[in-house]
Amino acid sequence: MVQDIVAGAFCCVGTFFFLVGTTGLIRMPDVFSRLHPSTKCDTLGACSLIVGMAVYSGWSWELLKLIIIACFVLLSSATCGHAIGRSALRGDIKCWRRKNGVEDGHGT
Amino acid sequence: MGGGYAFSRRLLLCIILFAFWIALTATLALYDLVLGAVCSAFVAVLTVALLGRALDPRITPMVLLRLPWFLLRLIWEIIKANYDVAKIILHPRLPIDPEIVEYRTYLPGDLPRTVFSDSITLTPGTVTVELEEDLLKIHCLCPYHQEGLAGLERMVAWLFGVKRHG
Amino acid sequence: MDDFLTVIALIISLNAVVCLYRAAIGPTAQDRLLGVNIVGTKTLVVVILVTFIQAEGFFLDVAIVYTLLLFVVTVALSRYLEAEGWEEM
Repeated sequence: MVQDIVAGAFCCVGTFFFLVGTTGLIRMPDVFSRLHPSTKCDTLGACSLIVGMAVYSGWSWELLKLIIIACFVLLSSATCGHAIGRSALRGDIKCWRRKNGVEDGHGT
Repeated sequence: MGGGYAFSRRLLLCIILFAFWIALTATLALYDLVLGAVCSAFVAVLTVALLGRALDPRITPMVLLRLPWFLLRLIWEIIKANYDVAKIILHPRLPIDPEIVEYRTYLPGDLPRTVFSDSITLTPGTVTVELEEDLLKIHCLCPYHQEGLAGLERMVAWLFGVKRHG
Repeated sequence: MDDFLTVIALIISLNAVVCLYRAAIGPTAQDRLLGVNIVGTKTLVVVILVTFIQAEGFFLDVAIVYTLLLFVVTVALSRYLEAEGWEEM
């Protein structure tokens, strides 16, 4: 029972981060900024859902496979972000800048 | 590079492959274990024949022992990063001021630099977009996100046992 | 618990549809690639959820292969786009 509740909590956190990642993907102004939600929120979303499923499955061989998948997701999403960013940089895509004077860095 | 050294590299690769085999086959039956040992030994020998080396010389047992602790610290950084980025994304005015900064690293070799750039990508508001020799081009979401880079570099240097000189 | 997991899988699938919108309108090829990559990550998670909804262990092997395939596809496509950019210069 406790196991189910912990697994459910991890799943909810993961779904929340997926939602945030999707929102960022739609809202952000250019490719480079869109890389941030996709490499961070999606990674943490996927990883916390995988951890939730690992808690749900308990001590079994599935646990090992889930750990392997989590490592792959961490490695591959960072490398994919790097590859896409590099191809955008070499494809001469300009980095979106805030108009100077309107905002002073941090915002409120 | 002596014969004993080359053999121990092959043994390390063989052990890593064997652990991977056990995780994938998900049994501890004798038949599967023997088959796995034969296969991983074969693949280790084949790797040396094809690539000329067993593993990157920077992967030592010490690095593998330090890896779990490094990963735990990295995961803590990732959680902080996500909280930060989620706050920015859900902010109604989208308070970002992105720019591409250049950063010169003192880490030697391909592997530490790759680990460093992957860690940068996974931590707050920074994405590596280009890595050439020791020059990294990093896209920062807000200017204050650059502050975490030096600490991260120290973490990777600790993982590979690199001392800073000069 | 099964119903709960099904609901989570449905929410993630709807999310994936929204990401496809970015892949459809994305002004540059890299935007589309990013959208497709995220849809792939979501599919991976849905496959893992289906493993536990159906209680069929072998779906996890499918998930492992899917991760590797997604990685190779994204890196290969972005390298291809990079090479194309060089030719135009």
